[in-house]
Amino acid sequence: MKKRGEEIIRLEGATKYYHMGEVIVKAVDGIDISINKGDFVAVMGPSGSGKSTAMNLIGSLDMATKGHIFLDKEDISLLEESDLAQVRGKHIGFIFQQFNLIPTLTVKENIMLPMTLQNLDADEREERVQDLMKKMELQEREDHYPSQISGGQQQRVAIARSIANDPEVVLADEPTGNLDTKTGERVMDFLNKLNKEGKTIVMVTHDPDLAKKYADVVYWLVDGKVKKITRKKR
Amino acid sequence: MISKESVNYSLRNLKNRKFRSFLTIFSIFAGIVTIFIFISFGAGLYKYVDEVAGSSSADKVLVMSKGGFGGLDTSFELTEDNLKDFAGTPGIYVSTGVYFRSVEIGFNDQTIYSFLIGFDPQKPLIMEMSNIGISKGRMLSSGDGRDILLGYNYQIKDRIFSKPIDLNNNIEINGEEFRVIGFLEEVGNPQDDSQVYIADDAMKEFYGDENLPYNWIIASADTSNMDQVVKNAEKSLRKSRGLEEGKEDFFVQSFTELMEGYSTALNVIVAFIILIALISILVSSINTANTMITSVLERVKEIGIIKSIGGKNSEVFKIFLFESSFLGFVAGVFGVVVGWAVSALGGEILNQLGYGFLSPYFPLELFIGCILFAVLTGAVSGVIPAINATKINPVEALRYE
Repeated sequence: MKKRGEEIIRLEGATKYYHMGEVIVKAVDGIDISINKGDFVAVMGPSGSGKSTAMNLIGSLDMATKGHIFLDKEDISLLEESDLAQVRGKHIGFIFQQFNLIPTLTVKENIMLPMTLQNLDADEREERVQDLMKKMELQEREDHYPSQISGGQQQRVAIARSIANDPEVVLADEPTGNLDTKTGERVMDFLNKLNKEGKTIVMVTHDPDLAKKYADVVYWLVDGKVKKITRKKR
Repeated sequence: MISKESVNYSLRNLKNRKFRSFLTIFSIFAGIVTIFIFISFGAGLYKYVDEVAGSSSADKVLVMSKGGFGGLDTSFELTEDNLKDFAGTPGIYVSTGVYFRSVEIGFNDQTIYSFLIGFDPQKPLIMEMSNIGISKGRMLSSGDGRDILLGYNYQIKDRIFSKPIDLNNNIEINGEEFRVIGFLEEVGNPQDDSQVYIADDAMKEFYGDENLPYNWIIASADTSNMDQVVKNAEKSLRKSRGLEEGKEDFFVQSFTELMEGYSTALNVIVAFIILIALISILVSSINTANTMITSVLERVKEIGIIKSIGGKNSEVFKIFLFESSFLGFVAGVFGVVVGWAVSALGGEILNQLGYGFLSPYFPLELFIGCILFAVLTGAVSGVIPAINATKINPVEALRYE
């Protein structure tokens, strides 16, 4: 277990180019980012600044065109897709703006899915899923399908799912983007609580108030480059 | 192995797309039913041929006319001398001449036409050859006079005559009365089961010809050297009938060889029918592949989610392969059940109509094989869509609406 304050993620000259016909789009253009264990990091920037791409690179969901990405000092930019899936499953949890729950699975099954994919045994899965539902106040929604619960509840299911395998890092892409202010605040309180418990949170947002209120470090991206880094004293 | 949860997820997806799943299952199902029915009848025919060609027929040799269907040419005549020359061939053990004539049979004011077969009751090689015995009454014996044996169907109401014939009933053959002393076991085809058998002496007397020519010769021979025996017998008979080689009006064939000929014809027919059924399976596998491709396209985002939370390509592959295989499995199970019901019913109807030899046979391997084949059809059809699913880029998939 890493101690709070040690570096857990590092992007070194990470670059992601997309080909759109003849044109090469530089979504992320040689960025350096360093994230410490236990940090609450916000990645901010206008639309098209490359913040979501940066998050995908941090989360090993996307492969860099150039540069290196280190997770716990291991260069994951060299890994194959199936190994990256393992990395994601064990070390990283994702929360999306659109919640991205599987509509045909119940609340409980959605939360359990990452554990199933890591072949955890049934008893342990059951024990963990009960804990997570309690933590996210979802016990009464256990057998509901995503379409049967509110947006705020869906996002809480997504949060529970993101920490199902107890990852070191939770990546949240505009987690409150689809929620009203009050529900959004509640979701942020849950994320903040996770951070207090020691989880590293990386959040993409375009809301400066959220970043100001919760983040220790804010990376400002413009045109795929890091323009500014601001740190809050704890 | 695929996890229980993935199985659950797959099944729920199939259930959510009930109508499409049903149509896909139905297309494989139709192919499996067809294959099951054809194979069960084919297997039944092979079994029938095997039963007919039992141990008592393996040593039999036949002399028949080259013309006429199945050697049933009443104008073809074999003399007593021919029989003697044939019997003298080395390797021929017992031989006997058989008569057959087309006759009018009358019973209870109804008349039909069938064959009257005369044989020597001391040498019932014709019965041994076709492996049939007496089902009721007794066998003919020499000096039986106007006593006859009837084929199986005469004792069944409406098969030949509207009224069933019983032991000791009298029937008319070409206007003369004969007494029924027994019935043969069922052969399973209407022609054989409607024949009438008589002792050779009585046949000669009936036709008023002491030198009545034979139509067939049946013999038992040395099985260890059958080919040579057949060749030698041909030579003896050619000489006896004063014919040149290549201009024979007869052929000598071992019963085994004759049955092999039927088996070959049967193989060709069964193979051809199965080929047609396989074409229907090919069409249903294209249909299944189409269903699965659509299913993958509809679930691009879900595939992205599964990958983003740690699902490996192999897991995604297994999910879709399982779905298509499961469609095949359901189609297979229903296919064999319905196929079995249709074949059994069809066989029963054919049996009632006197075509007992066309009775389906249901070995366990047929059930298991058809289900496995359906699963395989589903699985093979699902491979390409499943590979497509693994190739989906998670980032693009998550953006997909």
